[in-house]
Amino acid sequence: MRKSNPAYSAEHLAFLQGIRRKARFVTAMRYLILVAFLLLWELAANLGWIDPFIASSPGRLAAAILRLYSSGDLFMHIGITLFETIVGFVLGTAIGTLIAILLWWSATLNHILDPYLVVLNALPKVALGPILIVWFGAGMRSIIVMALLISLIVTVMSVLAGFNEITGEKQQLMRTLGANKFQILTMIVLPASVPTIMNALKISVGMSWVGVIMGEYLVSKAGLGYLIVYGSQVFKLDLVMASIVILCVLAAMMYYGVAYLERKIAVWRR
Amino acid sequence: MAKTIVEINDVSLTYHETNGETQAIDHLRFSVERGEFVSIVGPSGCGKTSILSLLAGLLQPSAGNIYIEGRPGYMLQRDHLLDWRTIEGNILLGLQVKGLLNERTRAYALSLLKTYGLYDFLHSYPHQLSGGMRQKVALIRTLACSPELLLLDEPFSALDYQTRLTVADEIYGILRREGKTAILVTHDIAEAISMSDRVLVFTGRPARLKSEHRIALGDRTPLKRRNAPEFKEYFDTIWKELDCYAQI
Repeated sequence: MRKSNPAYSAEHLAFLQGIRRKARFVTAMRYLILVAFLLLWELAANLGWIDPFIASSPGRLAAAILRLYSSGDLFMHIGITLFETIVGFVLGTAIGTLIAILLWWSATLNHILDPYLVVLNALPKVALGPILIVWFGAGMRSIIVMALLISLIVTVMSVLAGFNEITGEKQQLMRTLGANKFQILTMIVLPASVPTIMNALKISVGMSWVGVIMGEYLVSKAGLGYLIVYGSQVFKLDLVMASIVILCVLAAMMYYGVAYLERKIAVWRR
Repeated sequence: MAKTIVEINDVSLTYHETNGETQAIDHLRFSVERGEFVSIVGPSGCGKTSILSLLAGLLQPSAGNIYIEGRPGYMLQRDHLLDWRTIEGNILLGLQVKGLLNERTRAYALSLLKTYGLYDFLHSYPHQLSGGMRQKVALIRTLACSPELLLLDEPFSALDYQTRLTVADEIYGILRREGKTAILVTHDIAEAISMSDRVLVFTGRPARLKSEHRIALGDRTPLKRRNAPEFKEYFDTIWKELDCYAQI
């Protein structure tokens, strides 16, 4: 029997305390590494160990962000990149899942298209950039399509793999109950694939960022990718690094957002 | 008067694969009467499960014909409860699939849950239940659709030995009380004898009916039947018949 809190033995309390101490240590070390890195960087720049013009420094980085903020451009750039990423990500996931459903529905179609999927997956989508620019214009549309393409095939393949995993015995159960294919899809395959789909989302969030930044490198006039390219062209490495730091924070936030969503949805899991 | 609910007439079944064809069932013939509990035993891989698939309409016979009254309920080896549905959602699954879910059928399903002591778990998720309880929920899911005939495909084989004995006892009781006809496929001779009115012994592949044993152990529960003096005799007879076909 499990005992409730007040009934814990001294040994168990010591055990719990040990676990809490360890968790605190891990958190403390994480912050320590970050702080130590920033301090060392700043120190190295100030003492002339590295050239701050090329390697920047945390202070210059903060100043660059502040400048962007006071010029009123910071949130415009963030907003544009974020918008492109979210649209690319949502479209990639929706279309990817839809295609996966189609391929699950018809094993023959899946069989026929298999080599094409493999080739499309192997192809570096960035190579399509110039074509996209010609087709969709040198603007936001090309960037979104790039993000979409990069996340699409990965989504299709991982979601389909998830679908095919749960096929089998649970489908047998549904068939004994007299279920049709649509019922098997909606009552078994989709809900059982929620964990797989969430994992695919985590991957495709990252992929969408790759697509958007690549797209912005190629064509954009605004956004964080644009800031990075522009900064390097005019040799303002403070600006380049500042943009990368912002990018890191945004990408991490979006990843944790998906992870949070995953925990919210899967209440039935242990 | 006893009435036939299942009749299998000269049924053969052949599986086709790229590397050849396998005859699984060869001119099989038997029938089951309403209210009967019939077990099928045979060497492993002899096509016992294929019989149930045929009866459930999941497979079509290559030759012969099958008469079956109503739509049977099927119980698989593992419970296959859906992890993301509560127990309530799980027992209503069959009704939902068949489009039969209404106030009356729902009340019936819930009453089964109440009768068999699982009502407290209505809003629990499957992972909170023990293996034996899960298998009982699986049975209630099957019974909720009110089938006349139940096809049991080694439904206890995934349970550990002690749980298996008690769950078999309980499920036997449930099926008797609800007045169901049942066909049980198993590789466990003792289980077959303890639960059945009649045991059919199949030959190895392709499956044919080798012999048929009427078990006259009365209305005792499976656990009590296991202690009956005649139990061992039945066991020995059937064991010998299976033995010469077993490939070790």
